[in-house]
Amino acid sequence: MITLLKNGKIYDPAHNLDGVVQDIYIRDGRIVNKPNQTEKINQVYDLTGKIVLAGAIDMHSHIGGGKVNIARMMLPEFQETKTYSEPEAHICTPNCSHNATPSTTDTGFRYIEMGYTAAFEPAMMPINARQTHLEMGDTPMIDKGGYAMLGNDDYFLRLLSSKADQKIINDYVAWILAATQAIGIKVVNPGGINAFKFNQRRLNLDENNIHYQVTPREILKSLSRAVNELGIAKPLHVHCNNLGAAGNFQTTLDTMQASDGMPMHLTHIQFHSYSTEGDKKFSSAAAQIAEALNNNKHITADVGQILFGQTVTVSGDSMMQHLNAKHANPKKSVIMDIECDAGCGVVPFKYRDQNYVNALQWAIGLELFLSVDDPWRIFLTTDHPNGAPFTSYPHLIRLLMDKGFRNEAFAKLNLDAQAMSNLTSLTREYSLYEIAIMTRAGAAKLIGLNDRGHLGVGAGADITVYTDQPDREAMFAKPDFVFKDGELVVKEGKVVKVVWGATHTTKPIFDISVEKYLSNYFDKYHTIQLDNFKIVDDEITGDGRGKVITHTKTS
Amino acid sequence: MNQPKTNVTSNSATCPACGLLCDDILIDNNNNKIKVLKNGCAKSVTFFEQNLNGLTPKIAGKSVTLQEAISKTAQILSKAKKPLFAGLGTDIQGFRAIYNHAQKTNGILQHMNAQSMARNMRVLQSAGWQTTTLAEVKNRADVIVCIGTDIVLHNPRFFERFIQQDGMFIDAKQREIIFIGENIKKSDALENSSLLPCRAADLPEITLTLRALVAGKELKAKNLAGMNIGDLQTVADKLKQAKYAVLAWVAKDLDFTHAELTIQNITETVMLLNQTTRAAGLPLGGSDGDTSANNANTWLSGWALNSVEESYDAIVWVNSFSPERLPKNSDNPLIVLGNSNVKFKTEPDVFIPIATPGLDCSGMLFRVDSSVILPLKKVRENNLSTLSGIVSAIEKLI
Repeated sequence: MITLLKNGKIYDPAHNLDGVVQDIYIRDGRIVNKPNQTEKINQVYDLTGKIVLAGAIDMHSHIGGGKVNIARMMLPEFQETKTYSEPEAHICTPNCSHNATPSTTDTGFRYIEMGYTAAFEPAMMPINARQTHLEMGDTPMIDKGGYAMLGNDDYFLRLLSSKADQKIINDYVAWILAATQAIGIKVVNPGGINAFKFNQRRLNLDENNIHYQVTPREILKSLSRAVNELGIAKPLHVHCNNLGAAGNFQTTLDTMQASDGMPMHLTHIQFHSYSTEGDKKFSSAAAQIAEALNNNKHITADVGQILFGQTVTVSGDSMMQHLNAKHANPKKSVIMDIECDAGCGVVPFKYRDQNYVNALQWAIGLELFLSVDDPWRIFLTTDHPNGAPFTSYPHLIRLLMDKGFRNEAFAKLNLDAQAMSNLTSLTREYSLYEIAIMTRAGAAKLIGLNDRGHLGVGAGADITVYTDQPDREAMFAKPDFVFKDGELVVKEGKVVKVVWGATHTTKPIFDISVEKYLSNYFDKYHTIQLDNFKIVDDEITGDGRGKVITHTKTS
Repeated sequence: MNQPKTNVTSNSATCPACGLLCDDILIDNNNNKIKVLKNGCAKSVTFFEQNLNGLTPKIAGKSVTLQEAISKTAQILSKAKKPLFAGLGTDIQGFRAIYNHAQKTNGILQHMNAQSMARNMRVLQSAGWQTTTLAEVKNRADVIVCIGTDIVLHNPRFFERFIQQDGMFIDAKQREIIFIGENIKKSDALENSSLLPCRAADLPEITLTLRALVAGKELKAKNLAGMNIGDLQTVADKLKQAKYAVLAWVAKDLDFTHAELTIQNITETVMLLNQTTRAAGLPLGGSDGDTSANNANTWLSGWALNSVEESYDAIVWVNSFSPERLPKNSDNPLIVLGNSNVKFKTEPDVFIPIATPGLDCSGMLFRVDSSVILPLKKVRENNLSTLSGIVSAIEKLI
C-alpha cells in the first residue's frame, strides 16, 4: 500500500527544506523513496498549495501520572468549562474542551486535532511510573514517553553524600530508566523537594540540603554527567531551584554553569526569569536569560508560556508549590511528600491580564521567545497545564508569528506591567520554518527520536497538512489532514480514525549488581518489593494497543 | 475445565484485601489450595485461603452455561435505558472494562464504598490537603496521631510494617503514637502509645478544638466532651514539636453526618503545622478496589468518581474480591458478576462467577496512598473468566 502526498509545500528543517514543493511517498507507515514506475500508488492526496510539516512533538507536557490525576480529581468545577460555547479567553482551538485537566481520551484527541503526534510527560516519579504509563496507555492518537525524576530521592542523595563512585550513580540512573520505561531524566528543584521534608523552605544552588550536606549544584553535576556518560540523547531536564520567585534569574544563570559544559535542558524557563526591579519588586530578566542562552551553546530551554485564563499548576516541586498555595484560585491546593522519592504540589491558578505579575509573566515568556536567536535550542511549551492548557498552542504560535496581533494583545495588559516590558520593541516574527524547528525537528533531535520530527526517507509518517492562512491561530488549530504512522487519522480538524501510538524509551546497559544494593535498600526502607517496582514491557503492550520503542543514541 | 495442578509451590504474593497491598506475603499452593505461610494477617488469610466454590453461572438460581448467562445478561442490558454498575470491587483493568461499557450503555457508576469515599473527596475538592505516603511515614514519622480509628481493623499490618520498624531518619522506639476516639483496642499493644478516649460523635468538636489549639488559640473551657483540654493541649504541643507529625484517619470510621468537616479539621490542622514545622495527613483504609476505581475513573473521564443519586432500571453488581458485600434489594433486574463464594438471600437474575485479581488472575491495584500501583499475581488455577473477558463477551451481543 503506497500513499502519495502530491505537490505539498514542505517545511522540513532537518533537511533544510523551507517551503519547497515536493512529493512524499508513504509505505507501511514510513516515508519512502519514489517507488518504481511499475509499483501501484494506492492513494493520492493532492496537496497543491497546502503546507506540509512533520507531526508536532510536545517535549514537555503534563499528560499523565499522579499529580495530573489529583488535579482532575480536585477540580470538579472545571466540569462547567465543558459547556462553554465561547472560550473564556481567546486561547483555545475550535475543538477545545476549554479544560486544563482533560481526560486521557481528550488529551489524545485535542493533540492530534492540532497536528501534534507526540507528547512527553516530563515529571514521571519513579515510584509512580506505573500510573503514568497506565494513563499514557489510555491516551489515544499520539506517541508518548516520560522523563524519570531523580535528584530528590533518598537513594540517590545517600549515594551522592557518601561520595559514591560516578559509575555506581550511572548504573543507578540507567537502572531507573529501564525500571520506569523512561526516555530521559529530569530533576525538579534539585535537592529541594527532599530538603522540604526536613523543613527547609528554600534551597539555593550552592546551599546544602541540611541532612545530606550536598548542594543542588553537586546534584546537577552528578546527574548531567550520568546522562552524558550513559549516552542518553535527551540532556538532563532541569526544573531549576526557586521556581516562580522574584529574583530567581540569578539561580537560572548560575545553573547554566552547573553542568561543566555538558548539555543540559532548562525547562519552563519563563518561570525562572524574574528579577526584582521596580516598585513591585518583580520584573523581567528575560534579556539576561536570553543573552546567556545565546552564549551558552550547551544549554537548551523550553519557555512555559503563560496565557490568560483558568488553569491549574501541577509540579513535583512541593517546596515551591507550598509557598505558591497562597495564590491558589480557586482557593485549594494539594501538597504531598511521596515515598522517599519526591513530592508534588497541585495549585489551581487563574492568570489575569489585569494582574501586574501575571501580565508581566505573559510578556516575559514572549520576550524570551523573541530574544533567543537559535530556534533549535528553544521550544514552544506552556508547561501544560501550568502556564496554560496545551490547546492554546495555535494562539501562542500566532503571537510569535504576528507582530501586530502580539502588540494588540500587549496593549490590553495591566499598564504597570506594560511599562516594565520591552516587548513592543522586539519586532521579530517567527517564520513557518522556525516554528517547524521549534515544534518538530528541534524537539525530535532533543529527545533523540531519530525517525520523527522530519519528512526524510525512513521517517515515521507522522505528517500534518495545513491550509496556508494569514491567521496562523486558525491555521494551526485545524489541520486539513493529519497522518499518524502513515494512516489518515484527522480530516478537517476532526478525528476520523482512532490509533494508540507508541511509548518511547531508552535503556542503556548497566551493571546488574546495582540491584544488590537496591535490594538491600528496598528491604530496609521501602514499602514494596524491588521486583514490583520494575515495569516490564508487557504492562504497556499487554492489552494489544500499546507498543514500546527503545531508542539508542546514534552519532 | 482445567485439571488442578498437583504440585506444591511457595511464592510471594500481593494481597488486595486492604489498602496496604502488602507484597511480602509468602504463600504455598498445595493442589490449588492456598496457605499463607508468612507475613499474613486475618484479612490476607481469609482472602488467600478462601475456597473455590460455585464455578457455574446461574440464571435465577439455576445452573447454566457461561454462554447462556452472558446471553441473558446482554438481553437485560439491551433493554435497560440506564443501567447502574455498582459495587465495582475490581482492579484497574476490570474497572476500565466496566467504565467503557458504561459509556456505551449510558450507565451510571457507583462504588460500594461511595459514601466513605465521598467524605474524603469533599475535603479534597473544597479545600485540598497536605498528605504523605507509607514510605515517608515509615522513614520519617515521629508523632503519629490516629483520629477516630485504631487503623488495624482496616489495615491490620499498618503498625507492624511502618511504625514498629526503624526508618531511615528515625528509630521505632523514638516514635510516639496517640489515639483519639472510642473502641480503640490497639493502643494497649503498642509501645509509646497513649489513648485519649472520646465518643465518635464528639470527634467534630474534639478535632475543631485541636485545630484551635494548634493555631495558638487560648480556650476558657477546661473540659470538652469528657476530655481534659490540657490533654489536648499536650497533643497540640507534641505536634508542633514533632519533626514530621502524621495525622491519620479512616473515612469509614468517621461514620456520622458531615464527617467531611471533621476530616477538614484534621487537614487544616496539618496545614497550620506546616507553617512552621513538617506534618502530613494520611487517609487510610482503602478496600474493595475503591482507590483504583476512583483514580481510573478520574483519568478516563476527567472527573472523580463522585457519588450520584440517579434512577436506573437494571443493576450490574461487580464484586470480585469478597463474597460478603451484596447489593441492596431492588425491584430492578439484577446481574451479579462476583466472587465465586457469594451466597445470596434472593437469587439474582443472573450470576456469573468471575476471577478474583490477585488470586485467580493477575491485575493492578492502587495502594490506599494513591501514589503506588502494585501488580497482583495469579496464584491458583481455575477456568474463571476475568471481568474484562466477561464484559467483552457481553458487548459482542449488544
